[in-house]
Amino acid sequence: MFIGTDRLTHTYMPGTPYAKKALDNVSFEIKQGGFALVIGRSGSGKSTLIQHLNGLLKPTSGRVFFDGHDLGQKGSELLKIRRKIGLVFQMPEELFFSETIFDEIAFAPRNLGLEETEVQTRVIEALEEVGMEAEQFIDRHPFQLSAGQKRMVALAAVLSLRPEVLILDEPTAGLDHSGQKILFKLLASLNKKKNMTFIICTHHLDQVAALADQVLVLQEGRLVMDGFPQKIFGRRSQLIEMGLSPPVTAEIMADLAERGLDVRSDIFNLEDARAEINRLRRHRVK
Amino acid sequence: MVNRSEIIIEAKDLAYQYTGEEEASSPALSGVNISVHRGEYIALIGPNGSGKTTLLKLFNALLVPTNGEVRVEGISTFDEENILSIRRHCGMIFQNPDNQLVATTVEEDIAFGLENLTLPSAEIQKRVGQVSSVLGLQDLLQQAPHMLSGGEKQRVAIAGVLAMQPGCILMDEPTAMLDPAGRNDVLQTVQHLNSEQGLAVVHVTHFPEEAVMADRVVVLEDGRLVAQGSPKEILGNTSLLHGLGLQSTAAVELASLLRQDGFDLPEGIITNRELVNSICSLEQTD
Amino acid sequence: MSRSITLGQYYPGKSLIHRLNPRAKILSLVMVLILLFSLHTYEALLAQLAVALLLIWNTRVPFRYFLRGLRPILYIALFAIIIYFFFTSGGVVLLRIGFITVESHGVQQGIFIILRLITLVLFSLLLTLTTTPLALTHGIGYFLKPLRYVGLPTEEIAMIMAIALRFIPTLMEESQRLMRAQVSRGADFETGSIFRRAKSLVPLIVPLFVSAFRRADDLALAMEARGYRVGAVRTRMYEDTIMPLDWTVLLVVIAMVAVAWILGL
Repeated sequence: MFIGTDRLTHTYMPGTPYAKKALDNVSFEIKQGGFALVIGRSGSGKSTLIQHLNGLLKPTSGRVFFDGHDLGQKGSELLKIRRKIGLVFQMPEELFFSETIFDEIAFAPRNLGLEETEVQTRVIEALEEVGMEAEQFIDRHPFQLSAGQKRMVALAAVLSLRPEVLILDEPTAGLDHSGQKILFKLLASLNKKKNMTFIICTHHLDQVAALADQVLVLQEGRLVMDGFPQKIFGRRSQLIEMGLSPPVTAEIMADLAERGLDVRSDIFNLEDARAEINRLRRHRVK
Repeated sequence: MVNRSEIIIEAKDLAYQYTGEEEASSPALSGVNISVHRGEYIALIGPNGSGKTTLLKLFNALLVPTNGEVRVEGISTFDEENILSIRRHCGMIFQNPDNQLVATTVEEDIAFGLENLTLPSAEIQKRVGQVSSVLGLQDLLQQAPHMLSGGEKQRVAIAGVLAMQPGCILMDEPTAMLDPAGRNDVLQTVQHLNSEQGLAVVHVTHFPEEAVMADRVVVLEDGRLVAQGSPKEILGNTSLLHGLGLQSTAAVELASLLRQDGFDLPEGIITNRELVNSICSLEQTD
Repeated sequence: MSRSITLGQYYPGKSLIHRLNPRAKILSLVMVLILLFSLHTYEALLAQLAVALLLIWNTRVPFRYFLRGLRPILYIALFAIIIYFFFTSGGVVLLRIGFITVESHGVQQGIFIILRLITLVLFSLLLTLTTTPLALTHGIGYFLKPLRYVGLPTEEIAMIMAIALRFIPTLMEESQRLMRAQVSRGADFETGSIFRRAKSLVPLIVPLFVSAFRRADDLALAMEARGYRVGAVRTRMYEDTIMPLDWTVLLVVIAMVAVAWILGL
């Protein structure tokens, strides 16, 4: 498997009266170039899971794999792995501490011990990747930017690692509608052009569901669903019972289907919905 | 139960200018005239920087106008002697659930406002008891804030405000940092307080779905009140919203797209159900 | 996760000591400490220790919490042993290793010091294990009140301490999160010289401060919105009541101290 887990279990503070099993026997795999969504209520284990995937946490039992390596094995050189797996936490701009955007983005490659010339190349590359003109921004103070721009810089700060996998936790938190659109457009393009594998934890499915090819659903530490988006989001009543909601567009389509209309089940955004309803009409008119 | 024609907050020709900051060049608010009636639920929407938060702060005298006047239950917010009264009449809930909880236990936090009002101990204990049962917090009274979920924290904040027996509650994007379950929690709570207890609500939000339940939607742009009306009127006006960089509900957006494609959908659709019904009746008549 | 961290070490209970007013406990502790440092006979010290153990038994707090509280002073005890056993002379020679002698006076003094230290810590733990941090804060705040007359804003200081207590777990969680996030960017907080490790803390400290200031801003606004004003009079939900029990205990402690002094212990 490219990245995944095998019977992963994680208990916080084992052996104490406060012990809490955050992950219970979780097994899944994501293929290279895949775009997976991890959904679940707060406390379902999402954050714990993603922290295992880049080796931040060690399993209580079970294993985590990346590119053929068992992350738990001694000598697995976590630093090398962190080069390849980028993890972007929620509100990543809260991590800023540098005086210039350059230094902020250079932090990660410098930590890897790269030569300064290489670092510089990567910083500029990362900035351009997120759609910000390097010359305009590298000397500015990170705190001076708008919310959307800060988010992009924070993303660049991880992209400078040139990761093969990018894991993001609520990447759109705090962004307005257009900011979200820009972000997901960027992620989609990285996924296509660079075959970057994506794993995204989010509650805001409307803009991202159409990009995904796999959805994992966690409930109380257990993996309760794993499959294609249309299969998972089709299970409306189950999701609602778990306190989750499918993308709004999917709900509208499902309602139409319930009323007898022959609509496809893999529609998650407005443009696709529009096209589908139009297709229905043309079909009928014929 | 409540006399809905009575005005509790009135702003006349309201203007506010921030001093000593770069934004001093353009006023944060200008020429705003607005009244909040008893029992009314107002949704306040607008792009970032349009002055929504500023307006709220002018309502409870956290800021005083640089021009014009705000009166709360007839008391002018310039009246420094009666600020405590004003803040009792107009409670406020903030976006970050953590950064508004002051005490080490839920119980003490709910009591905080009452202690500021110098109520006698017995009265404080009585009100804390009442309010915690209304909001379902009885079992959490001895808990420390950091052990609560986001939704619970916001409910505690609401309890703290409710205990002061206000006529109006001001909410500044109270669900922005919550997961869907927490969001639901807070929205249902506030709706209940509005419909059952006649509490007026001014709710600043970025989520168009949250504006659907309001009595009136008020739109700000660049410090000016540019539109107000029923949710149908405002949310249905996609050109207005798009012009401000805002989105409407999925149902409205989809209906608008379909109308462009020649679907003869009636005006005034803002919910999923209305959309589905309309599409289905169209399909039947085709 | 630090969600479970209970502040200070409060262990809930309903014993007599638990129910005492924090002010009475603080005053008693102060008097007991003074007594401890003024007595100089073994008998008196052992009596004190016995009293401490008796009270511990009364609180029904498991003894392992007290043992855990004694751990920090292990090093001091060790230090005392070294100084007093090996480097203090007087009395009968008990042991001779090379040119180091262990003599009876040294041993006596050493044991006395250590026992006193243990008793001191046990009495302090009696206070912290049976009183919530907030109650302690209020108690200390009460005794600081006279400082008002020298211009110290004691009410506000008490509020600041209470707010600090409230945010300690929150800030701890946040710093853990920050640390993990920076580690994900390759940060290394563990290896290297002291200088290097100190420098590596910048990506942790700066964001923490920035967020702390933001919190303070937000919180101040929220407090004002709920009617808080600096310097204004406030009532309290639970008044601090002083019961006859408190006076009784205080009198007993005073009596103990008096007796010890009179007896020249």
